Amino acid sequence: MWTFILRRLLYNVPVYLGILALLMGALRVNDPISGKLGKNPDPSDYLALEQRYGLDQPFAVQYVKLLGDVVTLDFTDVESWTNDGLFVGEMLAESIVPSLAITVPALCLTSVLAISIAIISAFFRGRPVDKTLMVLAVVGMSVSFLVYVIFGQYWFAYLLGRGSGLSYFAIGGYESGLANWPYYCLLPVLISTFVAMGYDTRFYRAVMVEESGRDYITTAKAKGATKTKIMFVHMLKNAMIPIITRIMTTLPFLVMGSLLLEVYFNIPGMGRVLYKAIQEQDFPVVQTFVAIFAALFILSNILTDVLYALVDPRVRLS
Amino acid sequence: MAKFMQQRGVKKLLKDRLAVVSMWVIGAYLLVALGVLVGNLFTEGGLKSETELRIGPDNVPGAWATQSAEARLRDATFYLDSIKKASRGSDPAAAYAALEWGSDRLPAWKPDRIESEIIEPADEISTALADHRELEGNVEALALLDRLEQVVRARIGASHDESGNAQRSAGQSFRMLLGTDRQGRSILVRAIYSTKVAVQIGVVSALISVLIGTILGAAAGYFGGVVDVIVVWLYSTFSSIPWIVLLMVLASAFRGGDWDGTLIPVYAAFCLSFWISPCRVVRGEVMKLKELEYVQAASAIGFGRARILFKHVIPNTAHLMFINFSLLFIGAIKAEVILSFLGLGVKNEPSWGVMINHAKAEVLNGFFWQIGTATVFMVILVLAFNTLSDALQDAFDPKHV
Repeated sequence: MWTFILRRLLYNVPVYLGILALLMGALRVNDPISGKLGKNPDPSDYLALEQRYGLDQPFAVQYVKLLGDVVTLDFTDVESWTNDGLFVGEMLAESIVPSLAITVPALCLTSVLAISIAIISAFFRGRPVDKTLMVLAVVGMSVSFLVYVIFGQYWFAYLLGRGSGLSYFAIGGYESGLANWPYYCLLPVLISTFVAMGYDTRFYRAVMVEESGRDYITTAKAKGATKTKIMFVHMLKNAMIPIITRIMTTLPFLVMGSLLLEVYFNIPGMGRVLYKAIQEQDFPVVQTFVAIFAALFILSNILTDVLYALVDPRVRLS
Repeated sequence: MAKFMQQRGVKKLLKDRLAVVSMWVIGAYLLVALGVLVGNLFTEGGLKSETELRIGPDNVPGAWATQSAEARLRDATFYLDSIKKASRGSDPAAAYAALEWGSDRLPAWKPDRIESEIIEPADEISTALADHRELEGNVEALALLDRLEQVVRARIGASHDESGNAQRSAGQSFRMLLGTDRQGRSILVRAIYSTKVAVQIGVVSALISVLIGTILGAAAGYFGGVVDVIVVWLYSTFSSIPWIVLLMVLASAFRGGDWDGTLIPVYAAFCLSFWISPCRVVRGEVMKLKELEYVQAASAIGFGRARILFKHVIPNTAHLMFINFSLLFIGAIKAEVILSFLGLGVKNEPSWGVMINHAKAEVLNGFFWQIGTATVFMVILVLAFNTLSDALQDAFDPKHV
């Protein structure tokens, strides 16, 4: 097992080095300082900024600096260009909780609901219930994310309770604290659940259907087990492996998954910080945040692989 | 061609009624897109200018919606205000002649007559109407409103009779069919034009991504060794950045300079993040295929490796290319909406994403025509592609979960 973990870790080192090179290259396609100062900057201003932010140094030196920052998790010396005097480390610390406040509940809710619906659908396979659910899932998948967000905000945050002067959901914004959570975060969580449902339900149903064709199910049927027992005792247990894998593979998206919702609902999470940084051409924030996202993404990928190897020992050998 | 139609998978696909319907739908969209593209090339100023044309007041609902009294008053006031503004200029006759909303215009009257038959009576009615605070259900006010519409609205159209009563042209009715957006532009025309943008983005980015992915994936799977290591490293690298972040970084990296305002930054962002999934799938399939006897036979005959790869191996991954093309097409259309919302997508042109994004503010005023139209146009196409992808998968790759 340890050799497996070590192998996965080592395998991902060149991948991460590649990401950093790609990221730094992409961000330098347009000169970041010209982006900050405008098209025709004063040469002395330009040089001063270039020196201040270390952009005059060779690519390799900047590369090592960024890598060092990520490895030591020390972002206290990376200064944001647009938020006066704020350092990336502080911005990261402030924004991570609001992001998780949306993505973690959304993931749990989506998984529970999608698996339940998939079970219902697989149980009534081929019958009207199943067909209706699957048509709904495909139609739901075909509507744009943005449409759900706009209508969700309009109906639940704007119209609901408007007559009686009550407001159940915030149109936008965020305040910390558990008591404030439902008001600010429940609606984005529900929307993101709804969006993910179509795709997840179809996937889980396909897993169940695949499982239902296996030999052990035929055996169980031949031995006279009831349909319910086959479904919940035999099938669900075995279907759990792909289901858990899928949930785990969505873990890396937890960090970024809610970018759109954060932007739309004005929730100061990591996604919105990155979005604003891209809009305002805040080069150090973009570079550092993407580097961190990629690192988290890779770490959770490794975690997924390890957990998967624990569940299914065959993986370790390949 | 006949041989192609005889294949088992193709036969199965053509038997699937839903798949056939969705292929017709996709074909219809492609035709519309082609029509817009050709029309854009051969008309002066392009059809694009048609999408920027002001055809009437803002946020007029679709043709079959009943308007509230407030909305009717607002529309009549819009026309009256434009006429009055023209009358105040130094050359009213020219200003009146220049007034046009789509193909709607004023009757070709002398300025005096417009003054006495439109502006003066309309002003009188407006003053009388201003005394009524409530319009809905107020008989007197509604009668005034009807008269105002007869004096102003009924005079505006494509052609006029002796007494100045206007007739609307078919073109104008078509433009007005689904109402206007916040700048008085035709929603229907914009949605149709957007079909071109969507198809363009979908076809270009899906095609290039599938080509890159297939070539790299097939090379990696077939040659193995160093090539495989490099390709796997490349796609692991690209796929280790969350796709929306990758899209945002790439779209903003290619922003500015000569490409600003074209679709090239969007294409670049999509192609660089979409080639991964076909590459991964094709690599796996090629690794399986190269162990098969017919490939070994080909190499025993003495065919070169490149020839085997391009003539014998890649054609057998065609079904995966089709499935991936279909899936990536959907991905591109949906991602375009998100990028447009983030301000990194299509510029200078209408697209469904741009329309949905513009509709945000209208929705809060209870105006759903723009978001509804863009969504319906998009959903039908995406639904057709989703159905087709499912059918393709069932027909050619049934073992896939």
